[in-house]
Amino acid sequence: MQISEIASSTTSSIKVRNGKIQIKTFNRSNFVLQLTLAFLIIFTVVAPFFLDYKSIDLQTAIFYTVDNLKMMFLQPALNQITIGTALIQILITLALAFLSTVIGAVISFFLAIACAKNLAPTWLSNTIITFNSFIRAVPTVLWVLIFAIVAGLGSVAAILGMTLHTIAYLSKAYSESFEEIDGGMIEALRATGAKWWHIIVHVVLPQTSSYMISWTFLRFETNYGVAIAMGAAAAAGGIGFELFMSSSFYYDLHEVGAITYFALIIALILEVISVQIKNRLIGSR
Amino acid sequence: MPTILAEKTEVYEKKGKNKKEFQNSKTILKIKDLYKSYNIKTPVLSMIEMELKQGEFVSIIGPSGAGKSTLLRCINRMIEPSEGSIVFDETEITSLSKKALRGERAKIGMVFQHYNLVSRLTVFENVLHGRFGYKSTLKGILSIFTEEEKQLALEILDKLGMKEFAYKRCDQLSGGQKQRVGIARALVQQPKLLLCDEPIASLDPNSSKVIMDHLKEICETMGITVLVNLHQVDVAVKYSDRIIGLNKGRVVFEGLPKELSNYAIQDIYGSELEDLIVE
Repeated sequence: MQISEIASSTTSSIKVRNGKIQIKTFNRSNFVLQLTLAFLIIFTVVAPFFLDYKSIDLQTAIFYTVDNLKMMFLQPALNQITIGTALIQILITLALAFLSTVIGAVISFFLAIACAKNLAPTWLSNTIITFNSFIRAVPTVLWVLIFAIVAGLGSVAAILGMTLHTIAYLSKAYSESFEEIDGGMIEALRATGAKWWHIIVHVVLPQTSSYMISWTFLRFETNYGVAIAMGAAAAAGGIGFELFMSSSFYYDLHEVGAITYFALIIALILEVISVQIKNRLIGSR
Repeated sequence: MPTILAEKTEVYEKKGKNKKEFQNSKTILKIKDLYKSYNIKTPVLSMIEMELKQGEFVSIIGPSGAGKSTLLRCINRMIEPSEGSIVFDETEITSLSKKALRGERAKIGMVFQHYNLVSRLTVFENVLHGRFGYKSTLKGILSIFTEEEKQLALEILDKLGMKEFAYKRCDQLSGGQKQRVGIARALVQQPKLLLCDEPIASLDPNSSKVIMDHLKEICETMGITVLVNLHQVDVAVKYSDRIIGLNKGRVVFEGLPKELSNYAIQDIYGSELEDLIVE
């Protein structure tokens, strides 16, 4: 059958251009997306040529940067602190992350119950969701600095700020996994005359516990990273503060490199543990 | 021919021999002028009247969207009825407070099409969920069950042939097994009425027969009134003491299975018999 015949036999719905059948039709949103991408690519390629470098000589700048990086990562050394101190400081950072995650997780669980659309009235869940998205929109560092006004710069402000952000994050994650629960299970328990708390403990908790654990651990990893930054930015102590001291106070790039490696190793260990936990939970599903 | 139809004629004969009389039995459920609508124009249920006696096996048949599920859920107020009266076990259900309603719900078992078991928990745990209606908040949360309750649960599981699966997780069971656990959960409530919302709609013919036989046996030996929503007319005819036909939220047929003529089936389903897969 000729192309023209196919097109004409199905009259209007099939598009033909230049004697060829079109697979896609013109789509406005796709067109806008492609246009945006094209602009972004052009700007990315063109922009560096028009940058004003002032007095910086690009060649020497790149050379020194590479040199600094070499100092940091190829010649790491501890000069101001001992390995023992570094380990203790890392423990402090982990403690900061742990505390804010645990406190946050407990509060988040209850908040998530009040926030899940299938467990709570709509007005309540919408109110909490609005507050949560506001809290999440402000970066953790900013929350810590806000709390520093009342608590003073230090670990208290750091924990308060990190906990607040954790609550907003985890209650969203938890409540979304609660909403995934098959409504029939809740209905079945309600039909037996079970109380609301019975349903929470015996349907919601067993059905979502693995998701909650994996979300919580993910947040713990995030909080570990944030806690390092808080040590530097909000004087919360821990390895972050040592990093800040060695980089800004002593300008010891060797030590910066060593501390970065320490933090990285711990992060890798956490990652491995997290994968293990996830696999185990999925395996038992 | 599916197994469920195999003994059809035989059952007809049996029914003829020892025909049951429910006239003198106690009334378990009395529905009067029940009316339910989500918007005023099209009521989901209107002018529903029915009376169930103790130990009766009643089927509700009708096309999809006729309001069968809504009717069943109005009885234990999982869906709030708009108007009318529902008297269950001499208690007016429609005017109960939340707390009192929970007490009455405990006496009404419910079985679902999709079983609605908590899939991550064991069979035993799921069955014991049926006891929550009789528990205080704290005892329920901490899963404190008496030995008698556990004994009861095991007896019921044994009766349904599921005792050996007691410690198995529910997501490892087949559909027919899940439904038996669903029935066990309802029975552990020691209900006076069992509401079954299309209990065999997701099951193969073999498991369907097992489930229906169990429901029938429960009805006959334990004296529990069973109200079943069904899609299959032949199953309804085979097992029921009485059939109620629902169409567009109204009762269009009520009578004994043998009274369900082809004409009545046409009336219920609103189309010519030739267009229906009745058997």
